[in-house]
Amino acid sequence: MITTGSRLFFGATVLSVVAAVVFAVTTGGPTGFMGTVGLVTLAVVFAFLAGVNQYCRDSSVPASQAGVEHNTAVSRQPVGRSMWPLVSALGIAGLVVGVVSHPAVFKVSFVVLLAGFAEWLVQAWSERASADNTYNRQIRARLLHPLEFPVLATVGLGAVIYAFSRIMLAASKSAGLWIFMVLGAVVMAGAFVLAGKRSATRKVVATVCTLSAVALMGVGIASAIGGQRSIKLHPELSRGVCLEEVGEEEMHHADENANRNVSAQAAIAANVELQENGTLIAWVNGFNGEGDQQHSQSTLQIPRSTRVGVLFHNNLEGEYRLTARLGTFGEDPEIVECTARLEAGRTAYLSLLAPRADAASSTELVLFVPNLPEQKITLVVP
Amino acid sequence: MTTLHGMRRRVAAALTVLAAGVLAGCAKDAPQDLFRPAGPNAREIDEGLAGQRYIFYMAGVVALIVLVAVAYIVVRYRDRGQDIPQQTHGNPKLEIALTIIPAVILATIAVPTVKKVFDLADTSDAACVVNVTGQQWWWEYDYPAQNCGGIEIPEPIVTSGEMVLPVGTPVVLRITSRDVIHSFWIPRLNGKRDAVPGRLHTLRMEADAPGIYIGQCTEFCGLSHARMRQAVAALSPTDFQTWVDNQLTPYSAPMGNEVAVEGEATYIAQCARCHQVNGLVDPDGNPVLANPDQYVVSGVAPNLTHLMTRTGFAGYTFDLITEECRDRLWNATPDEFGALYLQGVWMDSPADATVPVCFDEAALREWLRNAPGMKPMFVDPANLASTGGLYRGMPALGLNEDQIDTLIAYLLERK
Repeated sequence: MITTGSRLFFGATVLSVVAAVVFAVTTGGPTGFMGTVGLVTLAVVFAFLAGVNQYCRDSSVPASQAGVEHNTAVSRQPVGRSMWPLVSALGIAGLVVGVVSHPAVFKVSFVVLLAGFAEWLVQAWSERASADNTYNRQIRARLLHPLEFPVLATVGLGAVIYAFSRIMLAASKSAGLWIFMVLGAVVMAGAFVLAGKRSATRKVVATVCTLSAVALMGVGIASAIGGQRSIKLHPELSRGVCLEEVGEEEMHHADENANRNVSAQAAIAANVELQENGTLIAWVNGFNGEGDQQHSQSTLQIPRSTRVGVLFHNNLEGEYRLTARLGTFGEDPEIVECTARLEAGRTAYLSLLAPRADAASSTELVLFVPNLPEQKITLVVP
Repeated sequence: MTTLHGMRRRVAAALTVLAAGVLAGCAKDAPQDLFRPAGPNAREIDEGLAGQRYIFYMAGVVALIVLVAVAYIVVRYRDRGQDIPQQTHGNPKLEIALTIIPAVILATIAVPTVKKVFDLADTSDAACVVNVTGQQWWWEYDYPAQNCGGIEIPEPIVTSGEMVLPVGTPVVLRITSRDVIHSFWIPRLNGKRDAVPGRLHTLRMEADAPGIYIGQCTEFCGLSHARMRQAVAALSPTDFQTWVDNQLTPYSAPMGNEVAVEGEATYIAQCARCHQVNGLVDPDGNPVLANPDQYVVSGVAPNLTHLMTRTGFAGYTFDLITEECRDRLWNATPDEFGALYLQGVWMDSPADATVPVCFDEAALREWLRNAPGMKPMFVDPANLASTGGLYRGMPALGLNEDQIDTLIAYLLERK
């Protein structure tokens, strides 16, 4: 006679075999192969479980054994409600939603489903492990706590950090500063009070921490819904602005909004200076050289296909920018980059990227100042 | 007797471990031995109170004291069922002594080290400049037009794998990277310097005597990091002048050798997309210009104009010369090194030879047959989605043996 439990697994085996055949016939390529292998594996697993169940007769206790309904572990009823069927159901629902919405939803739901099934399985097993409920709880805890605690801690901390990041993104720059300081001070003060108050129980500490985390996540969710603050990016200066071929108003607007930060000063390829007498000179970083080599006005060699920076110092009265013509390759437009116009005494950083050797360009590679066309430095890109 | 026998066994085991430790430090060839400095910067690192040698010895003595003390305590006070000894808490004299002694040792090292770090960073006396650019998994060296310590370099030179320098000339290397962080290190000439994309770091380098100095990328940079090697060939000023002149020799198309002529066509069809040979023109007379940025992530491939003047290829991973010739070159005296090096793969070959004696053809042939098989580079065409279709190194080109024959004949003339 086929036992009740075995019937379930035999049915699942047949279903898996049928599914494998259908999948193999209807789906080709690597996906079809992998899916079929997966379904066949499932069939083998179900067949094995069916065999085990059939062999041990569903682990049913002979009815003739006296007091069996009270004394054996298998006869015990579940000791409490289980939330794992609900979690598993949510996982399945999430899988369906994920298929039609976003792969991330599918993946998260899959993990939830696996976790739900695993917890459900272990709980069902542990509640029947022995006739002693205390022992059963302990054996479940011993098995699952080493997994549950790190996962819960990671998820909990991740949620708090993510919520905090949403708050900081939503707040203005100055408000963010205050939030960071005040929140840090509150955490510090709270920890100080709790540490000094020896009468505080674990329950009180846990309640305070939980409420704080929930409040933080609540504000974080609200901030996420509100969206992050508008972050203004410095616009890149257009070719027209770099070559000063556009109107004064447009050029002024672009220069006003351009990035004026001077960064990476210690790792630049060269300093380029527009001197007080209107001469454009350059010298390479790390190499003093002698004579003409020290301040080479004619050439600057940079590696191809490598982003390097130069610092432009304007020491000439008036406003000037440094513009780089970085070559015209094939049908692509000429590559032009530049700094904003600088007043005398100001410095700006210019990043250069010449994608190919200068020999491959149909136009000259130079650094120059648009209003002083005779002042230029030839870029050599070997 | 049993105790004596046991003691002997323990002593034998201890001696075996000690011998293994000592023997592990031995090597027949140790070209990256940093205790054999060959230039002022490496000597600066090696010598003095904050020198690596002194620190190494000091650390060795400290380690020996600690290990012997630990071993003694473990053996002497092991559990033999004896009563637990009287427990004490704290020993101010001992604790103060154990704080002061390491502090004095560290201060002794730290103060001169700081000075040394600043001294090593000084490149103000450099008489020559070389741009060094790292990419997965090879180094490119480009020499700007300049007067390099009295030797005129009238036009830029680009080479890879081996950097050639004049001896006795302080050279500043301007190091950067095209893709990920690498680290340039020639242990016998100077310390390490990171090559960071978007940044340019300087490193002073000077060799005392002609010879070859081997190095290795020391920042994990991907799959073939271990195969990203480099070398500095230091030449006398006269030999360096010869090398410069040779590097600037105009391109000469293959003449007379039909296989090499075919090889030029194969090269244009297969290799010129990424590799530049300066001066190469197509049958219509148009310059053949490489566009490696269309095919590889780093945007470059080694310049092959004078490939056969080098002794290694593919990031100095594989030899272009046979093992015997390499041993001869590496062990050459300073007086004979320059002449040997300048011959490249043609070392020891008769003037009328068509195939050089020292050429390791098998390695280059295998490379042309299946480069990723020799040096893993994520070049499986099925895995290019993450790089937008760009390779991280040389792919397998699917060349047949006849094409490889012609390419080798052509490349042999790139000298």
